[in-house]
Amino acid sequence: MVKFVKIIPIALKVGTVTRKYPFERPLITESFRGAIEVDPVKCTGCGACTRICPPKALSLIREGETLILRYFVGKCIFCGMCADICPEKAIAITKEFELASENLSELNVDVEHELKKCVKCGATFVSTKLLNKVRSQVEALPDDIAELCPNCRRLEILKRFTGGR
Amino acid sequence: MFSQTSYLYDNSNILDKVIKNVGGLGAEVLERKPDFTRVFVSRDKLVDVIKELMKLENVYLRTMTASDEREVNGFFKLYYVFGVDSLHHTIIVEIPLSENSPSAPTLIDIVKAVDWYEKEAHDLMGIDFEGRKLHKFVLPDDWPDKVYPLRKEYGIEDLKKLYKPVFEYAKKVEAEAAVIIPIGPYHPALHEPEYFELYVRGERVVDARYVGFMVHRGIEKLGENMKYDQVPFLAERICGICGFVHSTSYCQAIENALKIDVPERAHFIRSIILEIERIHSHLLWLGVALHLLGYDTGFMHAWRIREQVMVLAELLTGSRKTYGINIVGGVRRDIDENKIRKCLNVLDNVEKEFKTFIDVALSVPQVKSRLRDTGLLPKGEAQKLSLVGPTARGSGVPRDVRKDYPYAAYKHVSFDVIVYSEGDNMARTLVRVDEVFESIDIVRQLLDKIPKGPIAVENWDAEPYKIGIGSVEAPRGEVIHFLITGRYSPYRWRVRAPTYQNLPAVPIMLRDSELADAPITIASIDPCFSCTDRALVIEINRGSIKEVPLFVISNKFRFGV
Ligand code: SF4
Ligand code: SF4
Repeated sequence: MVKFVKIIPIALKVGTVTRKYPFERPLITESFRGAIEVDPVKCTGCGACTRICPPKALSLIREGETLILRYFVGKCIFCGMCADICPEKAIAITKEFELASENLSELNVDVEHELKKCVKCGATFVSTKLLNKVRSQVEALPDDIAELCPNCRRLEILKRFTGGR
Repeated sequence: MFSQTSYLYDNSNILDKVIKNVGGLGAEVLERKPDFTRVFVSRDKLVDVIKELMKLENVYLRTMTASDEREVNGFFKLYYVFGVDSLHHTIIVEIPLSENSPSAPTLIDIVKAVDWYEKEAHDLMGIDFEGRKLHKFVLPDDWPDKVYPLRKEYGIEDLKKLYKPVFEYAKKVEAEAAVIIPIGPYHPALHEPEYFELYVRGERVVDARYVGFMVHRGIEKLGENMKYDQVPFLAERICGICGFVHSTSYCQAIENALKIDVPERAHFIRSIILEIERIHSHLLWLGVALHLLGYDTGFMHAWRIREQVMVLAELLTGSRKTYGINIVGGVRRDIDENKIRKCLNVLDNVEKEFKTFIDVALSVPQVKSRLRDTGLLPKGEAQKLSLVGPTARGSGVPRDVRKDYPYAAYKHVSFDVIVYSEGDNMARTLVRVDEVFESIDIVRQLLDKIPKGPIAVENWDAEPYKIGIGSVEAPRGEVIHFLITGRYSPYRWRVRAPTYQNLPAVPIMLRDSELADAPITIASIDPCFSCTDRALVIEINRGSIKEVPLFVISNKFRFGV
């Protein structure tokens, strides 16, 4: 028999292998990394995740007195670096990947944080939650200093050192 | 046994002698290690020094980099990286160029492979090469003159402002709706824009010309503005089929520059994934090749078998393709017992199925006759052009970075470098076929020997202006990343993919061949075929010019159609 005809029994044996996705479930292994999910309760708005995210899918945006951690899934490469780095373990990697939408804004997920105002100059400088967290961990931080923005804090400390001169 | 040692001895003697001669010519040896030499040469001595180096046997140009170091030491610099395969030795030749009018003598007559590197250095860094008249090469024709994007004075934002051709023009002529199509830094999956001009007489190709760089993505510049740990994810997107080789090379380059001690287990995991990548990449190529030969049944089966490997890759890394597990200092995902077991099962099955299938596919008479004696590439040319990967190995050059410049865990496994000497399309095909089996065997050995321990270095510090090289044997050939470190990001990052090295060989393979064989010949170097691929067929006798997609040429000659 001509050898190349042997492909026919192979084909008969394996049958149809194409999946009728999306009507059939896609195959996803247990290791699959999909889109991420930020837990608004755990997140403190520290911004560590926005600094590691390679395609800049995560960003911190200031809008008046709120700080927004915005996740734009359209840019996300599903690497999970943000989940690795988040100090609060607020980011979970899901198995979601069917994320198409006709509406661009649906691809954004926002986590809002209240911003703390500097008691002296009134500038917003850090999310309230993050400040509270720092205060709960750093006991030596005096209240009046903690509520100052970095700039005013520097001036204040300088003043104390130089005895007000 | 005796003869082998004396052979090694002789050779390293030759190397010592050459390096000594080079010193006599005025070159300064900056660093000398068993596998690595760095020499510093002034520009007027360059030609003599390179001539001396080329006397070494099996020497080839691995890559060349131009770097703008004016803010560091006041000049531009060129780095020529040579490899001496049989001695496992890398030689870097560095020359400083004046900051005002950087120019160097051309090496094109001594090292044929330097052609594109010089053109690119001229285009992106503004280096002149005496004795060569260079035109726009990588940059588009409408790019402003005298703007060299890789120079440090241009930030990415400045460059973006410079780019406004079509859309601005559309507004000027008041075209109704202008659409901006975003391109890159993504890879267009299977197909890549390339362009061949084939000069034919009747059905025979007389000559061929290649035009590339339609989608230069500026990745090197982009990487110089990203943090060290972000770049691997960008690097992985350089190629849509073999991305892991790039992130590995990048990490190796940094680890090498900063002397970071990567844990053994991480080396093993990297090697395992690299080999899995080779398996699926070769299976993909075989499918595409069979498709181009009109044997679509074969294409389907090759890809069906490949699919199991893709699923396996996802199981091991978390993603089918852009694996995202490389970081500087190691890897991010471990492999446990359960995964090892599944991996072995898949490999057994793939091996069995592939064996039966390839036996059948390569016995199809039309496939056989189309591959045999077509697209000939003589060994001499392969050596002259410094070719890499299956393209070189199909022409009898046993070049394989895994053996020649061992990295990751390759020193712990035994494997053969597959070499065929015929230099035709069949030889290149058989190299890949045999390598699939070889790779399966390598993964088995690695899984068997994988040591326990951590998978990444926790902390490391970047010291600026250190030089590092990372190179990996990708499915298509050697990938090499040259890197100069900066404080938070690479200061200069130079990527050289195998296709860059191998493409200049295609016109040689095409010359004086049948037009019908052109598609498989072009594909035989595995260049990632193109969705926008157009072949301009120029009929010399009649003076007619036709623009036809390559697959139409191949269809025309399909059997049974
Ligand atoms: S790193 Fe974690 S805590 Fe910080 S902003 Fe991101 S999600 Fe929130
Ligand atoms: S998964 Fe990766 S790309 Fe997506 S948000 Fe996290 S860090 Fe960014």
